Order: sequence, then C-alpha cells, then structure tokens
Amino acid sequence: MKLYKYASPAMFYPVAGKMIPWFAIPAALLFAVGLYVGFFVAPTDFQQGDAYRIMFIHVPAAWMGMFLYVLMAIYAGIGWAFNARLSSMMASAIAVTGAMFTLLSLVTGAFWGKPTWGTWWAWDARMTSTLILLFLYAGFIALQAAIDDPRRADRAGAVLAIVGVINVPIIYFSVQWWNTLHQGATIRLLGKPSIAAPMLTALLIMLAACWLYSVAIVLVRLRCIILEREQNASRLAEVNA
Amino acid sequence: MNWPDLSMGGYGFYVWGSYLFALVAIVWEVLSLRHRKKALANEARRAVADDDRPAAVRTTVLRGSTNETTS
Repeated sequence: MKLYKYASPAMFYPVAGKMIPWFAIPAALLFAVGLYVGFFVAPTDFQQGDAYRIMFIHVPAAWMGMFLYVLMAIYAGIGWAFNARLSSMMASAIAVTGAMFTLLSLVTGAFWGKPTWGTWWAWDARMTSTLILLFLYAGFIALQAAIDDPRRADRAGAVLAIVGVINVPIIYFSVQWWNTLHQGATIRLLGKPSIAAPMLTALLIMLAACWLYSVAIVLVRLRCIILEREQNASRLAEVNA
Repeated sequence: MNWPDLSMGGYGFYVWGSYLFALVAIVWEVLSLRHRKKALANEARRAVADDDRPAAVRTTVLRGSTNETTS
C-alpha cells in the first residue's frame, strides 16, 4: 500500500472524515466515565478537600497544552523542511485546540489557586511559563492569519513554533528548577505516583478523553483548512488565468 | 453509588466554575467548527451554481470576501 499518497490534502480529506467518529465517540464516552470516577468514586482529599477535583480537568488540559504545542512544532517543521502542505495544515489545525487547552489550564488553575493558595494568580515560574505558552499559540495563529500567501504563512509559523518549543521543558521542569508556588509533579514517568488509585484512574481516563477529543476536533478543523486552501488555490488559478 | 455533595465542601463555586468553563470552551470549539463547515459548504454550493452561469457574470469568491469580480 502506498501510504505516502495520503500526504496529499485531497487524498487525506475523505480519510480524515472517516476517522473522526472513531475518535469523537470514544472521547465522549471516556469523558463520561472519567467524570463519573472523578466525582463518584474518588474520595475527598484529606488536605485539599473537594477542591482537588478540579485537577481532573486541570492536569489533562495542562498536559494537552504542552503536548499539542510540541506536536504542532513537529508538523510545522516537517511542513517547512519537506515542503509538505498537509503537514503545515495539520500544524495550523492543532494551534487553536492547543491554545484552548492552555487557556483552560490557566483558568482552572486560577479556580484551584484561589481556595488553596488564597490567590487567583501569581507570577510564579510555572504559571508565567504557561501564560507564555498561550502567547506563543496566539502569536502562531495571528502570524498565520496576517500573511495572505498560505505557504509563506506556514514557513513563518514554523519558525515561531520551533523557536517556542524551548518553553515546553521550561514549563515542565519549572517546579523543580525554581521554588514555585505550584506543587510538584504528582505523576512521574518513573516511580510511584503520589495519589490514591481512583484519583489516578480518573485523571488518566480524562487525559485519554482529552487526547481523543483533540484528534477528532483537529481532524474536523484540518478538513475545513483543506477545503479553504485548495478551493482558494483553484479559484486563484482561475482568476490569474 | 454515593452522590457527591454538590457544595463540594464549600468549594462548589471553584469546582463547578472550572467544569463550567471547560464545558463552554469545548462547546464553543465544536460549534465554531460546525459554523465554519456550514459556511464552506454554502460557498461550494454557490461556486457550483456559479459555474452554470455565463463566464462574464461569474462570481469569484475569495477568502474572507465576497467581491463580485467578472473574469
């Protein structure tokens, strides 16, 4: 099978359409299961009371904000290096969802911070670097919107996206590098997580739901971008002819 | 199944506020894309209808504008 033929936007368009329900339906189910476990099964935290339940949306949102940024930069980079249109379109499709999750993590973080720390916002290393992440997304989206020629917009966006990747490890390690108000990592790649099993289960289910949701919504947006750009390309050719 | 206390032990505003914001964000994203898809479908339909008209009065729809240009 020639997989590379799907690198053409026109070929990938129907494939993306068929893929969407396979991600959207499980996403909806997992959101329901995750919220059920998070609110009905997981016990009240002995330190933070019920306020900790915000983390079931806050932590996945924060992770998605970071993951999607890296993914966006990789797609933008591939699109730039190999002149692959579909890859650049994918980067543009990811940006809005990544920005949405980053904003969600900042807002839910504020809702968490007020009762537990006594403040909505602090210029703490993790929060500040996450705010910068939101600005990077906004910058990427604005830059692409400001340039009329889509291929030039892709290249400019790619430079911004790739340079901005440096911010992601800063966010991740900020709680170790600096003495921050934000608490340290609860779940580590190596070693035991420091939370109760049902809490961890709910968190992981919500993370999976956010991933599936992201794939589905990004594919929907990608299809719109393919239509807009390919349509414009053919119409522009018509005008110039 | 034990129902959680809706007041969330006094943290209700913060917990429900967070989830309400999440819901609004997701619904906004889904609806705005649905709107964008509909607009594209309409544009495509108009373009197809256009192609049936004589070339001199064809409408060329460019991104973000609906300028009538004759080709």
